Amino acid sequence: MCGIVGAFHSGGRLPDPVVFATALKRLARRGPDDSGTWHDSYVRLGHRRLAVVDLSPTGHQPMVSSDGRYVIVFNGEIYNHLEIREQLTPPGGQWNGRSDTETLLEAYRAWGIQCLQRLQGMFAFAIWDKVERRLFLARDRLGAKPLYYSWVDGSFVFGSRPGAVGPLTAGAHEIDPQALRIYLELGYIPAPLSLYRQMRKLCAAHYMVVDERGLRIARYWDFRHIPVDRTLLKRDENELADELDELLKRTVKSRLISDVPLGAFLSGGVDSAMVVAAMRASGVARPKTFTISFGEREYDEGPAARHIADLLGAEHRTEKLAVADLLALLPTYVDVFDEPFADSSAFPTMAVARLARRDVTVALTGDGADELFGGYHYYSHVDQLARLNGLPEPARRLLRSVLRQVPAHKAKLVAGALGLGGPVEIFNYLRSCGKDFGPLVDAGVLQSTDGSAAWFEQFAAGFTVDLTHAELGMRLDQGFMLTNSYLQKVDVASMAFSLEARCPMLDCRLVEWSMRLPAHFKIRDGQTKYLLKKVLCRYLPPEVVHRPKRGFGVPIAQWLRGPLREWAETLIHDSNVMARLPLDRARVESLFQLHSSGQRDAHPVLWATLMLLCFVARHDLSQQLPETAPKLAA
Amino acid sequence: MTDQVANAESIRAQPPARALIVVSATYADGGIQRFNRTFLTACDQLGMTSEVLSLGDSFEVRSSWSEPPSTSVRVFNHNKPRFALEAFAKLLRGGYDVIVVGHINLMWLVAAATRLRRNARVILIAHGIEVWTGLGRRAWALRAVDTILCVSRYTRQTMQAQVPELVDERFTIFPNALSESWRSLTARQQLGCLPGLPPRFILSVTRMDRGDRYKGITTVLEALAMLEDDSIQYVIAGRGDDVDFMKSVAQRLGVADRVHFVGSVPDSELATLYRNCLAFVLPSAKEGFGIVFLEAMFFGACVIAAREKGAVDVVQHESTGLLVQYGDTAALKTCIDRVVADPILRRRLAQAGHATVVDDGAFTFRSYVARLGRTLDLSTGGPHV
Repeated sequence: MCGIVGAFHSGGRLPDPVVFATALKRLARRGPDDSGTWHDSYVRLGHRRLAVVDLSPTGHQPMVSSDGRYVIVFNGEIYNHLEIREQLTPPGGQWNGRSDTETLLEAYRAWGIQCLQRLQGMFAFAIWDKVERRLFLARDRLGAKPLYYSWVDGSFVFGSRPGAVGPLTAGAHEIDPQALRIYLELGYIPAPLSLYRQMRKLCAAHYMVVDERGLRIARYWDFRHIPVDRTLLKRDENELADELDELLKRTVKSRLISDVPLGAFLSGGVDSAMVVAAMRASGVARPKTFTISFGEREYDEGPAARHIADLLGAEHRTEKLAVADLLALLPTYVDVFDEPFADSSAFPTMAVARLARRDVTVALTGDGADELFGGYHYYSHVDQLARLNGLPEPARRLLRSVLRQVPAHKAKLVAGALGLGGPVEIFNYLRSCGKDFGPLVDAGVLQSTDGSAAWFEQFAAGFTVDLTHAELGMRLDQGFMLTNSYLQKVDVASMAFSLEARCPMLDCRLVEWSMRLPAHFKIRDGQTKYLLKKVLCRYLPPEVVHRPKRGFGVPIAQWLRGPLREWAETLIHDSNVMARLPLDRARVESLFQLHSSGQRDAHPVLWATLMLLCFVARHDLSQQLPETAPKLAA
Repeated sequence: MTDQVANAESIRAQPPARALIVVSATYADGGIQRFNRTFLTACDQLGMTSEVLSLGDSFEVRSSWSEPPSTSVRVFNHNKPRFALEAFAKLLRGGYDVIVVGHINLMWLVAAATRLRRNARVILIAHGIEVWTGLGRRAWALRAVDTILCVSRYTRQTMQAQVPELVDERFTIFPNALSESWRSLTARQQLGCLPGLPPRFILSVTRMDRGDRYKGITTVLEALAMLEDDSIQYVIAGRGDDVDFMKSVAQRLGVADRVHFVGSVPDSELATLYRNCLAFVLPSAKEGFGIVFLEAMFFGACVIAAREKGAVDVVQHESTGLLVQYGDTAALKTCIDRVVADPILRRRLAQAGHATVVDDGAFTFRSYVARLGRTLDLSTGGPHV
């Protein structure tokens, strides 16, 4: 887990070394152990290292291949690199060191672009071919590792974070209205967009070639078209559980390679418990596990996590916080997310990463299980709402007006979804943070851009046919929410404390297996993650596995009416910031009023707006970052 | 053509058969309509006298095709009661050797009538997608069918999976044939002229309605954005209510200036497109057969299709075209890159594809007529009940 940055110009116009050093410095949290640069007449490469495998200097980057032709900067881990080594013959007959970077470099030397098909892991890397004068970049299948780039006037720049790419990008940074609109609808910016027109993200499972001919991007893997295997419905459920169990053990085992201490996040839920159980089954005698426990009992999963840790024989560490303590992480949050990002669950993720980093450098997480194995009830809701939308229009109208009178939040949600089009539109509605509050961007942006529903539609057009609504929802979540939001959260929150997070559930063999599994084995009779829980019951008592999920939601709604109110008000009324964004200012102000007065809970969309304002106020990407975070009201 | 006539003459030696043919539509655009026109032409070649009742056609569209001399077509302009009454009356009156049902949705009518009076052999044409689901509730109607002309092996398989009593003996695999009307367009001077045709382009010909996204056009657009040669353009012929969506997808992918939506074009211009494209690409998930592949092959286009449903009966991978998994943009990109960069491969695939729709090829009209003759048993004493 590291940070990479680089620049290419076929005419040799490369960034000033001092500016380049500034860009590289912005990745310091991602790689505190080592730093290196390399350049020739066409390319400048930089790397910050978090040493995890092969801690010796032979793992130093940028790394030059044995024949001197290729140079690599690499962020991530290749879990099967030892298997790949067995298929390669290193020039000179022996390997220089033990790092996966060297393996990757030699794999590219041997197989070219096709090497991507053999890689199991999380990665974003760039390889410079000195002979062909060609830069090759790639990102892992699920998008666990980020890769931003810009291509302006023949100058190509890339980096692990926008903060590193920004200072190297020529010209001014203009806000991209399309990205802005989608961000305010979803709370994150999906690839290939970034907040700025001049900057893009390489999509997950894509590679890119840059040379004097220009820039070419292509996809090398795609889960969307994997058909659901309905014949599995006739298979014995225990056999399927056996298969899943084996796969989980194999993927977890492959993620145990490390030359530094390794542990796991453990909440009281199914996903992380499954990972820790698989660690035990893979031979880890006493896995180190970490949990954040809250003083407020209604949120606290601490005791449940402790119970699971005891049952699994883990060496468990808990940090007890008050929910209000999370607020102290806001400056770090604003600092490390150098792209607007509105998922408040980043707070507890940062807290647990900070805790884990005291003992380990690598932590396994359960991320991805909800999307792959049906962890959310709203997958079934799409189906129910689609059926309601089959009612004749007068009946829908009547139902809508009745539901709007019901004070319950869920009733209002259903009322909002009535009358929407197909399942993709309904899903977009359920997943949006704006819901029925209306758009916050101004009329010009609305006219010139597409809403997130259109992006969902485009993505879903590539799905295999005959999916159920629940299966469609899971695939949309995997392609959008997981890749662009959750994995960004895990990457940035863990990197904020120089911790490497690994997600075994996102092993591509496991992903492909889960794509083939019908929804019947994922959500059944109101039970989520049906098959995964069945497997976990082999390691934990059923009452622990089926314990009702307590769920922790950061109390943003209350914070915005309490400790963050003044901060929020100042931001919203800051004319300098507002003037830089094409927002409907009156609507933003009235929404804040509506929320702070307690009339409606509009915190998801307000939080997204505030994070955007905060970002624009703080991150002028062409400038150095200010040293201190904004002051918050007590 | 001479061979076809000779072939048909040998069958005509038998007494002409009378057929009642009930269809959903015959004249307008669309795969089923094209199939029906070819079918009626073949019946005529076999010396049959056909009475056709067409539910979905109107008088306005009749000018688009001239029916063969031995065929009379009555159109009903979607008037279901009138269509049902007339068909029912004719079925009860009888006097036909064979009753052909052109669409599963019309089967109930024939099944009901034959319960009262069964006086002819009943043949159902199964085109594809319309019989892939929902057959269970129509099982009673299928009992009235003597023979199912099934357009592909996949379609037979899915029908049998739904109604196990449909044993192999009740099916005849009856692939489509290239319509004879295309042959008249082969002379170069008769090909249409399309001003502004890009020099190097790939082609799709398809209906583009919201419900047709399974045709894989977005997959082609995604692949286009990734091609090694970014000068390659993409021409899409066809219309539908989803064109704006496709345009927005092209816009978002940054290839809008390389994609040309030319709408519905006359056959002569379509022939020009087929003849000039680098590859005909339609990676569809649900082609019952894919007659459009035959058209492309006839005009010498190299075909790329999805390894799905009926298309695998038409396109043989690495022989008469290339097959990719449906929705696999990476594989599609690789295929297009290959044929674009390799003229020898392109020519080899195109020639092999072309061979299947000319002379003694499996998908020629001559083979089709002979197959129909054998199915109707015309060469051995006429149809039987």
